[in-house]
Amino acid sequence: MRALQGLRGPRAPALPLFLLCFLAAVRRSLEDGLSTAAPFTSLPVQEEITTKYSNLSSESHNISVTAAPYTSLPVQEEMMTKYSNLSLESHNISMTVEQSNMPVEKNITLERPSNVELTCQFTTSGDLNSVNVTWKKGDKLLEDNYLVNATGSILYTQYRVAVIGSKQMGSYSCFFGEKKQHRGTFNLKVPEINGKNKPLITYVGDSVVLMCKCQDCLPLNWTWYGVNGSVQVPIGVPVNDKYVISGKHANETRLKITQLSEDDQGTYWCHAIFELGESEGHVELVVLSYLVPLKAFCAIVAEVVLLVTAILLFEMYTQKKKKPSGDGKEFEQGEQMKLDDSNGIENSGPRHRKNESVGQ
Amino acid sequence: MAYRAEPPDGGWGWMVVLSAFFQSALVFGVLRSFGVFFVEFVAAFEEPAARVSWIASIGIAVQQFGSPVGSALSTKFGPRPVVMTGGILAALGMLLASFATSLTHLYLSIGLLSGSGWALTFTPTLACLSRYFSRRRSLATGLALTGVGLSSFAFAPLFQWLLNHYAWRGALLLVSALSLHLVACGALLRPLSLAEDPVVGGPGAQITSLLRHGPFLRYTVALTLINTGYFIPYVHLVAHLRDLGWDPLPAAFLLSVAAISDLVGRVASGWLGDAVPGPVARLLMLWTTLTGVILALYPVAEAPTGLVALTVAYGFTSGALTPVAFSVLPELVGTGKIYCGLGLVQMVESIGGLLGAPLSGYLRDVTGNYTASFVVAGTFLLAGSGVLITLPHFFCFSAPTSRPQDHVTEALDTKVPLPEEGLGED
Repeated sequence: MRALQGLRGPRAPALPLFLLCFLAAVRRSLEDGLSTAAPFTSLPVQEEITTKYSNLSSESHNISVTAAPYTSLPVQEEMMTKYSNLSLESHNISMTVEQSNMPVEKNITLERPSNVELTCQFTTSGDLNSVNVTWKKGDKLLEDNYLVNATGSILYTQYRVAVIGSKQMGSYSCFFGEKKQHRGTFNLKVPEINGKNKPLITYVGDSVVLMCKCQDCLPLNWTWYGVNGSVQVPIGVPVNDKYVISGKHANETRLKITQLSEDDQGTYWCHAIFELGESEGHVELVVLSYLVPLKAFCAIVAEVVLLVTAILLFEMYTQKKKKPSGDGKEFEQGEQMKLDDSNGIENSGPRHRKNESVGQ
Repeated sequence: MAYRAEPPDGGWGWMVVLSAFFQSALVFGVLRSFGVFFVEFVAAFEEPAARVSWIASIGIAVQQFGSPVGSALSTKFGPRPVVMTGGILAALGMLLASFATSLTHLYLSIGLLSGSGWALTFTPTLACLSRYFSRRRSLATGLALTGVGLSSFAFAPLFQWLLNHYAWRGALLLVSALSLHLVACGALLRPLSLAEDPVVGGPGAQITSLLRHGPFLRYTVALTLINTGYFIPYVHLVAHLRDLGWDPLPAAFLLSVAAISDLVGRVASGWLGDAVPGPVARLLMLWTTLTGVILALYPVAEAPTGLVALTVAYGFTSGALTPVAFSVLPELVGTGKIYCGLGLVQMVESIGGLLGAPLSGYLRDVTGNYTASFVVAGTFLLAGSGVLITLPHFFCFSAPTSRPQDHVTEALDTKVPLPEEGLGED
């Protein structure tokens, strides 16, 4: 079947519209299972077309049957065919009138280029056809590539975009209503990188390994930056083997720093480069000198020595008290002399039996 | 020289209890909380966790197998110099570990050096404690052993805090300073001369006579069996709970609850051991049998309430059997030979401890769950308590137990003159 150039722009002339209706009828006779309830149905037909022809790469399907005459399907379809070998991701947001004050958001993580389909569902009891639908990327109003359909009491709108670079990433919002009071937002982001939340403590002269990891993603490349003041300075080719960048798997990167000094203290940033943008994580490094714990160590050792001296002196003192005539040097043997008086001989209990023959 | 007829049962003895309390805290509390360091070692040396856990295993093994050495030395020189030396060794081991650059350094410094230090401290202290008390021996031992449980609570967060502020090298340095307090504890151990000391002879003679002593050997066998089963729940309880579908946090919380009931059990059993007349071995058998039965019931309990109840009961009974286990020995061999006796017992029973956990792990790998290992642990405990029945005077309800005075009279009648005549020979 010969493809025809379809509608473009906000207003469609009447003649091509008539042709389209004819073609739709022709299609109907050629394919089975097509839903032809109304010549202006959009979503089901469109989806059929996309799925049917998504594995072809050189045909352009330009039949546009839409509910709202000012949406243009062919642009979408062209993009879909050009990038039809990319995966398709679909995401939904549903909103109701009651949730009007809460903006509904959804975060979508994209790692590699793919086709993205964003659908907003709006449920209201009023008249659906009177509801105004708009799409925005950031603050820019989007004028094409989206569809609107109403089924029963639910209004659907769908936006499709082929995300192939960082320009297509960002926030896409669908708005319902004249004053755009109901809003749903899709945030397209690159995967997040995990550095470390707690600071790493190291000592002067030691070596340390800083690691950044990505959960389920495979970046194209990693780079490390150190911070000098407030400027990020890239860590490049290692000098004196001080910096070694390595990584056991593609989803992590390790920066090994040897011969640490107090100048190496600070925050280190790791950047992961994807086709769709960059993502970063950070690790904080603290370098202490050995004196810091050493002071605490010496303090405690001094305390222990004091304790031991006190205990032994106390014992010598009580020994001396017990033996007023005794010599100090009796202490060595004096240890054997038990302080019978102070400890007292306990009276017999269930396990005690004084034995006269041994009695002192 | 004056020798006491009976242990003082108080007075300076309570300071010895204090010393033993801090020592069990500093030896076993540190060992138990060392797990906090393992994570850091795994990251710092990039070695697998199994190899890092050998550090603690070597330390425990050296501490237990070195016990007879510590005991023999304290028989000869008295507990004080031995324990103080042990404290210095333990602290030195940790100090050297803070400079380690490979895992082998840690094996040698913490495992070997600190382990030998610990070997020289723990057993002599407990033996010394047994010499200071006779009527309140179980209570004193129970109180002293609470140091282990309490310190595990305190040291784990403390070590984590040290790690967060000083990293593992600085933290090891400070733990070394902490371990130096063992020296201070050693200073508190005033030597005590009891009447049967000159009679029983030096360490070599003591060890040979002990090895020929029937009840002592049977007791050692019993304790070895008990030790094989004793540690298994501690090692595998959390894993068993996770197998049953518990989350890690409630499982760890349950372990803390068990630790608390363990503490309570120690003190209660210590008090009970002194209050009840007759041989303490009977109480030991009671607690061991109860623990064995509880362990055997573990596989049957599925509901959370049942598991919680069993764990609390297990904590109580297993804690209860520890002070009593130490109190039986002086009754068997007398306070004169207590150092060597305790050292030998610790060494032999440690074989049980070393075998128990791997055996249980192996059973789990073979059968797929912990049912078999819990049942085997219970069986070992019941077997141990069975052997206890063979101890002398077990079934006597009113006859006196074997007391230090008996040993003295025996020996005196046969061999040596009265101590008043200035026998100072060791």
